[in-house]
Amino acid sequence: METVIEVRNLVKRYGDLMAVNGIDLDVQAGEVYSILGPNGAGKTTSVEIMECLRRKTSGEVRVLGHDIERGQKEIKKRIGVLPQSFNAFDYLTVKENIEYFGGLFDKRIPTDELIDAVQLQDKRDVWFINLSGGLKQRVGVAIAMVNDPDLVFLDEPTTGLDPKARREVWEVIRNLKSRNKTVILTTHYMEEAEVLSDHVAIMDEGRFIAMGTTRQIIDQHGSGSTCIVKGANDAAVAALRSAGMICEANDGDLLVRIEDKGSLPKIVGFLSSPEVTYDEVLIKGSSLEDVFLKLTGRKLAEAEQ
Amino acid sequence: MRPKHVLVDLKGQARSFFRIKSNIFWVFAFPLLLIVIFGAIFSNMGSEMVTLNVQDLDEGPGSQQLLAAINGTGMVKIRFISPLADLEQHIKDNSLAHVMVVPANYSANLASNITAPVELRLDETVSTSGTVFNAVNGVVNAVNLQMAGGEQRVTIEVGSIVQKRFTFLDFFVPGIIGLTVMTTCVFNVQGTISRFRANGIFRKLATTPMTPFEWLLSRILWHLFISFLTLAVIMGFGVLLYGMNMSVNLPVVLMIVAGSAMFSALGMIVARFVKNEETASMAANAITFPMMFLSGTFFQLEMMPSYLQQVAAVLPLTYMSQGLRDAMVYDNLAGAYFNLAVVAAIAVVFVIAAVLITKWEEG
Ligand SMILES: Nc1ncnc2c1ncn2[C@@H]1O[C@H](COP(=O)(O)OP(=O)(O)O)[C@@H](O)[C@H]1O
Ligand SMILES: [Mg+2]
Repeated sequence: METVIEVRNLVKRYGDLMAVNGIDLDVQAGEVYSILGPNGAGKTTSVEIMECLRRKTSGEVRVLGHDIERGQKEIKKRIGVLPQSFNAFDYLTVKENIEYFGGLFDKRIPTDELIDAVQLQDKRDVWFINLSGGLKQRVGVAIAMVNDPDLVFLDEPTTGLDPKARREVWEVIRNLKSRNKTVILTTHYMEEAEVLSDHVAIMDEGRFIAMGTTRQIIDQHGSGSTCIVKGANDAAVAALRSAGMICEANDGDLLVRIEDKGSLPKIVGFLSSPEVTYDEVLIKGSSLEDVFLKLTGRKLAEAEQ
Repeated sequence: MRPKHVLVDLKGQARSFFRIKSNIFWVFAFPLLLIVIFGAIFSNMGSEMVTLNVQDLDEGPGSQQLLAAINGTGMVKIRFISPLADLEQHIKDNSLAHVMVVPANYSANLASNITAPVELRLDETVSTSGTVFNAVNGVVNAVNLQMAGGEQRVTIEVGSIVQKRFTFLDFFVPGIIGLTVMTTCVFNVQGTISRFRANGIFRKLATTPMTPFEWLLSRILWHLFISFLTLAVIMGFGVLLYGMNMSVNLPVVLMIVAGSAMFSALGMIVARFVKNEETASMAANAITFPMMFLSGTFFQLEMMPSYLQQVAAVLPLTYMSQGLRDAMVYDNLAGAYFNLAVVAAIAVVFVIAAVLITKWEEG
């Protein structure tokens, strides 16, 4: 398989701040690779160095086989970029916006084909300023594809969108993958990374604190599955607590760690005794959110502030 | 340099510019409103006080009595021209419409009981000339009556002044063209750059083959087009509505080119140095506002205190407006080219500075 991006010990310093603090990355052709992390983790800085928009402090970066400093021109021809919080020209229509950016490249995909790809056929003559947030981002993705790039960078394409709009953007990203594009996606939505990517790197304070497939990361850093007992009565709480299995309790909702194969029968045993009552029992696997919590002591959402 | 990139951006501007309502306001409505409002204010102000310019070569008791009587009518206000002044030149330089000359031997003639003519020169195209004639004629009749036998001793020799007369609008309209070119170029370019920066458009453009220079060139060219549109609209308005007589000649064309480039580059420089969108717009205001009022757009520089005239002398709009006036209405080509040279020199400096500091993104 062709390696599309190769990053070795990349460092970017802004004055005293180490925005990117020695990351390594290998991205293979045709995959969706997510960089997941809270605001300020260094995601944008990292991808913009790969896009030849910012200068690195040190380290080595090769994109599509070219060194980012010597091969800028070649790289720019073959990448497509959706910058973070990008807004196209407010007073051009969807079609005119795509034509504008397409006109700047020698190699380009026909505008209509791009409009189809992001499913904006009925909005083609609407001014950009009059589109909803989700539609704007889809225009942004179309613009990122005008030059039929091999590698597409999407910097937080769904931040600020409502869940429905977010899912529609996911559709568009899946579509990119089905066209054999390599996609680098940054996000701070754990679910987005889990659903869309082949590989994920979790970033915090300029470092990758975990990377691999979602499965690998969870296997390696996750804390196993958790049994959630909702609406448990005092007897249930007392029984589980005496067994030392409760990791979190609040108002009759219990999180019980499933540490090994024997845990589950034990829990079932406690729950079946006659004085114990509860509303429902769920079993939940470990998520990237849990991994982030475990590795940093913070929740992804909290780390935002 | 790829002309194709410049054309793509020009096309984008052409498509979007007039979809933005505020652009229509600043390019069309704003200058025309100013002309209508100020035209109305100043065309009425002129008729209240009629000035009679008097060159008293006699300076004797007779002339003093006569002039005091004319002043006493309350119909005209007398302003003296030095007896040493070259009258023809003085009339021309100050665009005088009513002039009276009292000859050197006036008092002596009266004393010797022989005819004593005074000379009254009026521009018949100016409506107040009738008032002046009536005032002077009434006084002369009274003086004659008062004298022995009511003989016609004092006579009036009426002559005419024929010259190109400039109204407030002649002064004002070229200034409004300069002002509008300034505001549209500075605010549009600054606003566009600030907005594009906030919207990530420059970061996006940085990933395309277009260079910052191509972008900048396209923006300057577009504002050149808008500036010529401004010239055409305002001139057409003045000619059709006020019957003004303005010409478009080479210095006018060159001044629009130089002025437009100068102010577009100024907008770029402001937006580059002031990163925050709101602060940048405030900075653009802070630069254009003094020019609006101190560059002789609304009133002649000579009416301002001398320290403000010194301020005006360093403001680029002063030279643009004065140059346009010289070329469009005053037929003063020497003045037009001098002002053009000043504006062109500033434009070159500003454009070079803008080219040097323009890049897609920092970091
Ligand atoms: N141009 C810059 N100058 C100085 N500091 C910056 C600059 N860009 C980003 N930073 C800082 O670098 C860190 C990483 O930022 P960024 O790469 O934007 O993170 P993310 O995209 O993950 O939110 C943040 O602390 C941010 O404040
Ligand atoms: Mg970011």
